[in-house]
Amino acid sequence: MEIVPIPADSYTLGFIGAGKMAESIAKGAVRSGVLPPSRIRTAHSNPARRAAFEAIGVTVLASNDDVVRESNVVIFSVKPQVVKDAVLKLKPLLTKNKLLVSVAAGVKLKDLQEWAGHNRFIRVMPNTPAAVGEAASVMSLGAAATEEDGNLINKLFGSIGKIWKADEKYFDAITGLSGSGPAYVYLAVEALADGGVAAGLPRDLALSLASQTVLGAASMVTQTGKHPGQLKDDVTSPGGTTIAGVHELEKGGFRGTLMNAVVAAAKRSRELS
Amino acid sequence: MEIVPIPADSYTLGFIGAGKMAESIAKGAVRSGVLPPSRIRTAHSNPARRAAFEAIGVTVLASNDDVVRESNVVIFSVKPQVGIATRSQCRFRLALDSFFIEEFVFVAVKDAVLKLKPLLTKNKLLVSVAAGVKLKDLQEWAGHNRFIRVMPNTPAAVGEAASVMSLGAAATEEDGNLINKLFGSIGKIWKADEKYFDAITGLSGSGPAYVYLAVEALADGGVAAGLPRDLALSLASQTVLGAASMVTQTGKHPGQLKDDVTSPGGTTIAGVHELEKGGFRGTLMNAVVAAAKRSRELS
Repeated sequence: MEIVPIPADSYTLGFIGAGKMAESIAKGAVRSGVLPPSRIRTAHSNPARRAAFEAIGVTVLASNDDVVRESNVVIFSVKPQVVKDAVLKLKPLLTKNKLLVSVAAGVKLKDLQEWAGHNRFIRVMPNTPAAVGEAASVMSLGAAATEEDGNLINKLFGSIGKIWKADEKYFDAITGLSGSGPAYVYLAVEALADGGVAAGLPRDLALSLASQTVLGAASMVTQTGKHPGQLKDDVTSPGGTTIAGVHELEKGGFRGTLMNAVVAAAKRSRELS
Repeated sequence: MEIVPIPADSYTLGFIGAGKMAESIAKGAVRSGVLPPSRIRTAHSNPARRAAFEAIGVTVLASNDDVVRESNVVIFSVKPQVGIATRSQCRFRLALDSFFIEEFVFVAVKDAVLKLKPLLTKNKLLVSVAAGVKLKDLQEWAGHNRFIRVMPNTPAAVGEAASVMSLGAAATEEDGNLINKLFGSIGKIWKADEKYFDAITGLSGSGPAYVYLAVEALADGGVAAGLPRDLALSLASQTVLGAASMVTQTGKHPGQLKDDVTSPGGTTIAGVHELEKGGFRGTLMNAVVAAAKRSRELS
């Protein structure tokens, strides 16, 4: 049975679940010009959520049924524990002509496709920095999702950060790394600021420097394409301040501890699935 | 004696030392529209460095003297810090020459300023980005106090520096604003008392290296959890970038941001628990404190 392609330049996008992730994606798509707000739909009973979307220029409809009817691409952005219910309720309207997407953490394609009644599903694991347009997302294509479907989602999620494609078997590890990773970085920023204060800096300067330093260094990795070990070598001059700091990190098992965090979070993801 | 203001919309900028930091600043200024390349000058004997600047559209002159003559604002971006440890090592090996060697490591900035002193009038705003070189010395070598010291960091290369400036005695508020705008084109800049500069070195100066270790470790953790290396490294670096952006853009306390994403019994709090078990935060504090201490020792 032939798959009807989604019209790349005129498709409409609907969100089932008008929460923060949906809002981030809608804002990113509009800001980057991937989709005009007139081609985005959602529904929500909560007036605050309706207002948030109307502020972007998005049409807020009366019901999820209406959202699905009017959309070529449907993103399920409800919380993981209610995804099953949401999909089952809408099943009669979820034809194979529509590309279905889920951003629900821990919910497998096998189940999504069973509830929807077809395999034209793409599962995406984004992360919370989608809110500032710097998500690290990974997608996995269901059996009937086409390459063009993948390209469409690639472009859409490219408007809120970076996205890669991977086999679904990696998604627990991905959860442990990019899903949970932002929290590890928040701890690091706080600790760097505390270190600055311990070394004599006023708090606000310490925090500003800490966050900008982490941002800048991460940008060096993403933009130069150099190995982080090489980047570290480039800035550790003989007997200098930087290698003294690095030495403390090695003494404290800094790297091993971070590895432990990723491994533990991935393990927990497996336990919860 | 009155300070002649630097004309904010038409000033020319000269770099003494055409290395990577100068290149980053020049590129940032041009890219952001702060200065057109026609108002930037430098000099260098090395053809590769000349080419790097000509590629931005900057006029490369024959000598540092010419650069100073043609510039309202002069940035000293020569290397001071490479080989500072050499001073300590050489003290043992060459006891008789230890005094000479000690001077050697500062020969780049000190020498540059002293050589150009006759041309460094008070009408010119002087700037140094040399790590560990104090305003007191810079001003002594230049013969006047219209100096601004800036401590940038290496992510200037990608326009995301964390810089701090300290104004010399005769640098005006407008001078500060000019430097604020210039360094704002390669990242963020704050103003602080010079007494904080060793601590700043330990945090924003050396900090990028701590982050490189973290990115590598996150990638290794991903691989340990089963990911292919390239995906693990891509996710690691983008995750750190995104999380740092959340801090800088939302203005929320990092502790609050962590609270926002740690759902009950979930994956994230399991990861955080491992970090706390391993003294992750204390170790990072140790790094900043040790680097700041080393900065004091070297000064």
